[in-house]
Amino acid sequence: YPLFQRGGPQLRIFRPNFFMLAVRPGVPQPEDTVQFRVSMEMTKVDIRNYLERIYNVPVAAVRTRIQYGANNKRNHRNQRVKKPDYKVAYVQLGQGQTFQFPNLFPEKEQDAETRSFDDFRDKFMEKEKQKQEGDPRRGGVPDWFGL
Amino acid sequence: MAALGARWPLRPGRRWLSKVVLRAPSPPASPLYPPVVASITAKSKAAKSRRLQRFNQRVHGAATVEEKLRLYGKLQRPKYMVYPQTFALNADRWYRSFTKTVLVPGMPPRAAAAKPPAAAAGATPETGRAPEPRAGLPEEAEAPGTAKTPEPTVGAGPYLDIGELRSLACDALLQESFYQSKKRPFLYRDQDHTPGPFLTQLVSTLAASLSGRNPLLAASSLDLNPEVNYYWHHGKEVVVHGHRKGRVDPVRFQIDDKPHLQIRVPKQLPEVVPLESDLGDVPVIDHKPSKLPLFKKQYENKVFIGSKVSDPCCYGHTQFHLLPDKLKRERFIKQRLEDQIEVVYRSNGIASLFAWTAAQAMYQGFWSEADVTRPFVSQAVVTDGKYFAFFCYQLNTLALTAETIENSPRKNICWGTDSKPLYDVVEDGCVKGFNDEVLLQLVHFLLNRPKEL
Repeated sequence: YPLFQRGGPQLRIFRPNFFMLAVRPGVPQPEDTVQFRVSMEMTKVDIRNYLERIYNVPVAAVRTRIQYGANNKRNHRNQRVKKPDYKVAYVQLGQGQTFQFPNLFPEKEQDAETRSFDDFRDKFMEKEKQKQEGDPRRGGVPDWFGL
Repeated sequence: MAALGARWPLRPGRRWLSKVVLRAPSPPASPLYPPVVASITAKSKAAKSRRLQRFNQRVHGAATVEEKLRLYGKLQRPKYMVYPQTFALNADRWYRSFTKTVLVPGMPPRAAAAKPPAAAAGATPETGRAPEPRAGLPEEAEAPGTAKTPEPTVGAGPYLDIGELRSLACDALLQESFYQSKKRPFLYRDQDHTPGPFLTQLVSTLAASLSGRNPLLAASSLDLNPEVNYYWHHGKEVVVHGHRKGRVDPVRFQIDDKPHLQIRVPKQLPEVVPLESDLGDVPVIDHKPSKLPLFKKQYENKVFIGSKVSDPCCYGHTQFHLLPDKLKRERFIKQRLEDQIEVVYRSNGIASLFAWTAAQAMYQGFWSEADVTRPFVSQAVVTDGKYFAFFCYQLNTLALTAETIENSPRKNICWGTDSKPLYDVVEDGCVKGFNDEVLLQLVHFLLNRPKEL
C-alpha cells in the first residue's frame, strides 16, 4: 500500500474490534449521562466517533476511568483468581437529549389461571406446614418430651 | 428494746396519724443539680448537635472578624473545588443549586438616581436592547448606530460625552492590537497577548475619566489579578470511604477565583430589590456534585475578597473576568456545543460574584448562623476580549447549611445578560462595527453608586 498523506485517497479501512456495552449505573447519574463498559484500548475520541458515526448519537462530553478487577478470590488450589479489568465511559449526550436505563425485568401480568394456581399452591403449603408442626397447646415443645 | 419499743410510735418517720399538711416543696433558690443535657463526647446525634452548638457559640463569641474567620475555616476536610471558569456542561444550573441563586435574564431596572429619564428616551427605538430597560440613563437620547456626536443629557448633572469614551475605548483597542508590534502569541496564550492588556487599559482609563462624575470611583481601589476565595457548606452527604465511613457530613465547597481586575469601594452599593423578594426558582439537583464533574481536595479554607479585613475598601463594586483560551467561542463551535457558550459566561458570573459578595458579608461579621441583615450587591463583566456579558448579583442569604437552609426562605439573585460583541473587526487602524450599547452598559456599571453620594 502507498504511504498515506493528508488529502490523499484512503485505500485501507480500519475496522477496530471495539465493542461498547451500555450498563445500568450503580450510582444514580444525571439524566443526560449514559454509562458504558468499553474495551480497554478505546480512548475518549474513539468513543465519541464510534457513537456519532455508527449510531448517530450526539455526544457532548466523554469521561473514562479504568475499573480494577479484584485479585482476592482463591480457587480450590489456593491460587488467586483475578476478575478482569474493564474501562467505564460516562457519555454526556448533546442537544438536550436524556437517557434512562430501561427496566429489563418488568413485572409480568398474571392471568386468572396462574393466580388461582398460585393461591392453591400457597394454601397447600400452609396446610403441610401446619401438619408438620406439633400441637400448638404444647408451646413449641417437641412431642418426644414428656412422660 | 422495750424502752425503744415504747418510743416507737413516736419516731418521726412514722407519723401517719398526725396531721401533717403536705405542701409542695418550694423551689430552691439555685438549682441543686446541673441541667440534664446530652453528652459532649458520645457517639450520638444529640452529642453531635451539642458539639455543633458549642462551635456556633464559639464563633458567635469571637471578638474580631479575623478570629471569626479563623474559627470558621479551622477544620480542614475534603471539599469540592468549584471553578467559576469551567468547561463542564450545564454548569450554571449546578452552581445555582449550590449557591441558592435565582437567575433573572436582563439587567435590573435601576431607579433614576440623579438622572431623571430623558424625554426622548421613550421615543428611542429599543433595537437590540431587548432585556435592558434602563429608565435613568441620559445616553438613551442617542439612537444606536448614529454618527459620533456628543449628546447633551436632559436632567441634572454634567453631560456624558459618549464620543470621548468611545475614542478612549478605540484607542485602547488599537494600541493593543494594531499600533503596538508584538510577536505572535505563544500556543494557547492568546488571551494574555491582546485582550488582557486591552481590558486593563480600558477599565483603568474609563474609571479615571469617570471618577470626576462618580466620587465613589475616586475613593476606590483597582486591583490587578486579585484573588477571591470563599468556603461554605451546603447540604448533607454520607462519607463513602475511609475511617469516617458512614458518618453524615455537610458537603463542603471552596471557590478560588482570580478575576482579571477588580474595583473595591469603601461604601456599599445600594440594594436592587428588597431583601425578602422572590424572583424565581432555584434549581434542585438530587445527584452528588461529583457528577458535574466536580472533584474533592483538602487544603486551606480561605475566605478573601482581595484585601485583608482592615482595608477600608471592604465592599465590592465591579469585577472583570477574562475567559481563558480553553473556553473560546471557536472551540465550542468546533465541538458543536453552541448552547454551552452562554453557560460559560453565566457560570463564571454566578460563581465569582457569589464568592465575592459572600466573602464581603463574612468580612462584616455575618456567616451562615448569623445571616445578613442587609443585601450585598456587586457587579461583574465577563469577557473574552470581544464579547461582553454583564452580571449583577444581590446576596440576600448566607444560610446554606443543611440546618439553616430550611429556616430561611430568602434566595440570592443574579441578573445577567447574554454576551454581546463590543466591535466587529479591527482592520487597518480603525475599529469596524463598534457597539455603543455595550460601552454604555459598562459606563453605567462604573457609574453605579449609593444614593447618598
